[in-house]
Amino acid sequence: MKGVGSHAVLVVLADALGALPLRPLLTVFPDVAGPLFVDFPFETQYVTSIVYVSLYVSVLAVTISTLVSIPIALVVGFSDFPGKRLVTAVINTGMGFPSVVVGLLVLFAVSNQGPLGELNLVFTKEAMIMSQFVLATPPITGISLAAVTSVRADVRDAAFALGGTRTDVALTVVKEARYGIATAVLAGFGRAISEVGSVLIVGGNIAGAGGVSKTRTLTTAIQLEARQGRYGTAMVLGALLVALVLVVNAVVVRLGDGGTLR
Amino acid sequence: MTLGTRAVTHGYDDGAVFEDVSLTAGSGEVVAIIGPSGVGKTTLLRLLALFEPPTEGEVTVDGTDAWTLGEDDRLALRRRIGVVFQEASLFDGSVARNVEYGLRVRRSWRERVRDELRTLANRSALPDAVTDALDVVGMADDVHKHADDLSGGEAQRVAFARALAYDPDYLLLDEPTSDLDPRNTAVIEDAVTAAADRGIGVVVATHDMHQAQRVADRVAVLLDDSVIEMGPADRVFEAPHDERAKKFIEGELVY
Repeated sequence: MKGVGSHAVLVVLADALGALPLRPLLTVFPDVAGPLFVDFPFETQYVTSIVYVSLYVSVLAVTISTLVSIPIALVVGFSDFPGKRLVTAVINTGMGFPSVVVGLLVLFAVSNQGPLGELNLVFTKEAMIMSQFVLATPPITGISLAAVTSVRADVRDAAFALGGTRTDVALTVVKEARYGIATAVLAGFGRAISEVGSVLIVGGNIAGAGGVSKTRTLTTAIQLEARQGRYGTAMVLGALLVALVLVVNAVVVRLGDGGTLR
Repeated sequence: MTLGTRAVTHGYDDGAVFEDVSLTAGSGEVVAIIGPSGVGKTTLLRLLALFEPPTEGEVTVDGTDAWTLGEDDRLALRRRIGVVFQEASLFDGSVARNVEYGLRVRRSWRERVRDELRTLANRSALPDAVTDALDVVGMADDVHKHADDLSGGEAQRVAFARALAYDPDYLLLDEPTSDLDPRNTAVIEDAVTAAADRGIGVVVATHDMHQAQRVADRVAVLLDDSVIEMGPADRVFEAPHDERAKKFIEGELVY
């Protein structure tokens, strides 16, 4: 069922691409086969597995990042402790940290000589999750920090005055800042799923026999397909990547809106 | 039952806000703290609401110094006190969600999760306490309105209902009608009287002396870093002992 559903989505997507005024491209790429560009069904399994790996790695990394980032944002936003300015500086610097360097550091960490060498994580999805976690955490924390500190002090006071514990006040702040936090999660997801350099280094862009992705993501596959001249497949993958980002965007915004119920 | 301060001095790094302040509010009693802006009325109410400990002295609930207790015991005391601020400070949500907040945080986590799920499934019933509290301020028909859609006066009335919904023993009001029109002011003042009639001890900080005269049983004049006059409202307004209090009440003392 899952395969049939995925195939249907891809066909619809490919047909949509076919409806676009792309005919001039055929003169540029004369060897592609008509408007669908993609050779089904082999490509279906290939593309589906790549989408699965991309989503698995990015969603898990961003979920873990969010669970870590929001408490950090609340602590940094509303507590005074030694080194607070340093933590803030690290968060801000992390937002612009080069992803290939992150990939390199994670590769060192999981390599045989690294501190996590015994876990045998080189070229695995878990290593990719680690590198995407490192990349996604600073933007999610930084934007969440801005969101929670923008909640008015009198609203926090009201939560406390009405009998709230510190946890209740923190939850109220998170709820009041939910749109900003949703933006933070989207920024983190955008950085994770569109990442090429670090996942290429720690994941290795591996597809096994039969064209099933092991650590190949949409971005690394696009890079590979384009480099090898399979522009049709690269374009479908690119369209899927954009579609995924749009769908996740819509879902997160809708979830952020959920607090207004009743 | 009383809520009060005993010889409280409080200040910040830049100096004392007030010194040696002692006052109490008993059940069913309305105590007004009057004084010019910036004299420390809000700070005194925050101390009474157990937001922070005083620099010196005691904040007492039924004779117990609240700051000698552990956090859980102090939370139990805090939950017997309702607070209405000068700003309505409503949460982003419906009137019902706002008024129910105090009840919600008093429930166990299991009950809260169950209630949230019921709310998402649109199968939760509104507690009677919420509609009763909104009824006191004439807002029971607006229970499903969003907080953003309320006027300033309506928002303040909802804030009052929010503090009343969990049936507190004491109610602290910080300039509750300073931004309101006469109609909304009258609704809040009636609600204050109704709360006192239900046995709630009320402390209201106001610079509106006419309001203090209308609602208060006793009045404390906070001036020159201290309570310079305290007594029954009629006596304080008609024959204050302190010369500065007399001048302030007559409007001669300008700050």
